Amino acid sequence: MLVQIAWRNIWRNKTRSFVVIGSIVIGLWASIFILAFAWGLYKNNIDESVNRQLSHIQIHHPEFTHQQESKFVIEHSDSILSLLQKDDRVQAASARTITKGMITSPTTATGVTVYGISPAAEEKQIGLNENLIEGDYFESGKSNEIFIGEKLAKKLKIKLRSKVVVTFTDIESNMVSAAFRVGGIYRSRNLSLDEVNVYVQKQSLDNLLGLKPSESNELAILLKNESALDSFNSDVQLMVPHKKVEDWMDLSPELELVIESFHLYTYIITGIILLALTFGIVNTMLMSVLERIRELGMLMAIGLNKKKIFTMIMLETLFLTLIGCPVGLLVGWLSVLVLGSIGINIAIFSEGLASYGFSSIIYPALDSQNYWTVAIMCLITALLSAIYPAFRALQLNPAESIRKI
Amino acid sequence: MKKTIIDAHNVSKTYNEKMIPVKALQDVHLHIEEGEFVALVGPSGSGKSTLLNMIGGLDEPSSGTVFVDGVEITKLPENKLIDFRLENIGFVFQSFNLIPVLTSKENIGFVLQLQKVPKKDREKRVLELLQEVGLAEKINSRPGELSGGQQQRVAVARALASKPKIILADEPTANLDSKSAANLLDIMAKLNKEEKITFLFSTHDQRVIEKARRVITLVDGKVDSDIVQTPT
Ligand SMILES: Nc1ncnc2c1ncn2[C@@H]1O[C@H](COP(=O)(O)OP(=O)(O)OP(=O)(O)O)[C@@H](O)[C@H]1O
Ligand SMILES: [Mg+2]
Repeated sequence: MLVQIAWRNIWRNKTRSFVVIGSIVIGLWASIFILAFAWGLYKNNIDESVNRQLSHIQIHHPEFTHQQESKFVIEHSDSILSLLQKDDRVQAASARTITKGMITSPTTATGVTVYGISPAAEEKQIGLNENLIEGDYFESGKSNEIFIGEKLAKKLKIKLRSKVVVTFTDIESNMVSAAFRVGGIYRSRNLSLDEVNVYVQKQSLDNLLGLKPSESNELAILLKNESALDSFNSDVQLMVPHKKVEDWMDLSPELELVIESFHLYTYIITGIILLALTFGIVNTMLMSVLERIRELGMLMAIGLNKKKIFTMIMLETLFLTLIGCPVGLLVGWLSVLVLGSIGINIAIFSEGLASYGFSSIIYPALDSQNYWTVAIMCLITALLSAIYPAFRALQLNPAESIRKI
Repeated sequence: MKKTIIDAHNVSKTYNEKMIPVKALQDVHLHIEEGEFVALVGPSGSGKSTLLNMIGGLDEPSSGTVFVDGVEITKLPENKLIDFRLENIGFVFQSFNLIPVLTSKENIGFVLQLQKVPKKDREKRVLELLQEVGLAEKINSRPGELSGGQQQRVAVARALASKPKIILADEPTANLDSKSAANLLDIMAKLNKEEKITFLFSTHDQRVIEKARRVITLVDGKVDSDIVQTPT
């Protein structure tokens, strides 16, 4: 009966109830949308890092991860690679030789990481071909071509076709110097890496280091679908038991941190919006309680105890929020669904964003965990905003309430 | 021997509004027996509502004691008092008596439900009560769809629902035209006679006063006169 009375009470002032429900819907929609948009931006960034830098999984010699010396190799990496490429979960896989070295131009010198890559295989991974702003992607076939970032080119004051000398130690710890000619200049989405990563053909680097063509320092694997990551990871682990197999989250703890911090933002943003909402709801419900002082006095006089009065007012607020929350979640979910497939073009801002690794079309997205967070926080809001008006109703004294018109 | 149903001793009530104490009741003694039909009269501000609230346990006196059916209600804790009210006292106010979102049937049924009367008996009793106040055909109307007089009659039926020993009515006819007022009083008098329910009601209306068998007059928070009369 109390439930029935509370339910009917909220429809006494339809406008007011719809305002409350409406503000909940808009509040939830807004928080979901903001979160989905932000997550779209993040995701963009993460995908970019995974696809172009980290890959889903990397395999190294266990010592290589610590010391970064080229002598710690994966033997028979060519046969491992061809096995991996046959797996239908794999989109692309490639082998790399890596060494730390010094690049010298006629004017300056600086430390770099030299990647020996297989040009064809890396089109799908590092994607250097797409990022070239000058020159052609290993087209000349010459073994002394080097590809450097725009930032590094500026720092070294060199241009396309300039000559540079790269110095490093081979696997026997002898100093090796080799002359390269700049075959192309690139600009990737990660400008800080552009300053340190230089690329040459794997073959030439292997020769200089003294590695066999079948050896490499890094195997990078991109999967077709990230959901296969864990199972694939353990399969690879079995395949190369003495090597270190890491997924992108192991490789880039800061990205994982980004994701965790995003969940924190979920709480903060939703919290702020819902807090504002709470004030609105409390205010409106308080108004509705104060309007009914006489009626509440009468209810107390006819034998409704405080617990029942409290429950009744709580129920009224709860009903309103419990209508508003699912509707808000639904509207939010639908708009994320629609905009997530169309995408939002932020081209006007993208100049600046590109330098942080963002692309200009954002696909808002939100995983179910965040929806749950929002839903649960909405429930908490509902309870919190219900308590105060109900509590105020308790403080009424029946005799005084009846006196008031 | 008649049984005492209301017994008030030395009841005083002082309100401290804006630091100025208002003596609403001063040492009031009241003794009412079972089955009486009493009007409480007096000028505005004389303390009629205050006295009814003290007897009904809606408010506490500043000093003095009130017994209802032998129970010292001035000593009951809040939650016991609510249950006591539910079982023993029916209220009818000047207005806002009914829950606006409930029909006549539901308004009356609600009190029965609070008393945990089973659903089957509830239906029967609601119909009986509405018949007694002559409103059986308005069983499914909400208060907004009833006239003022009809609302007050439903309120009386609702007050009766819990089979209380007394019904306290604070100016039940104040918002009614004289015909409806007379009608309401006739119903109250009938219930008083047939069901032996004690009625104590405050009023300003001379024609209502004439229907009472005992008239207590309050002036400045004190009992000024207490007259037994023959109702017209
Ligand atoms: N809650 C309260 N706070 C302060 N003063 C009050 C309160 N209730 C009543 N009073 C004062 O107590 C006195 C008696 O009031 P009460 O309402 O009992 O009079 P009444 O006889 O019912 O008058 P009326 O015929 O106008 O209804 C008045 O002076 C009133 O102002
Ligand atoms: Mg009064």
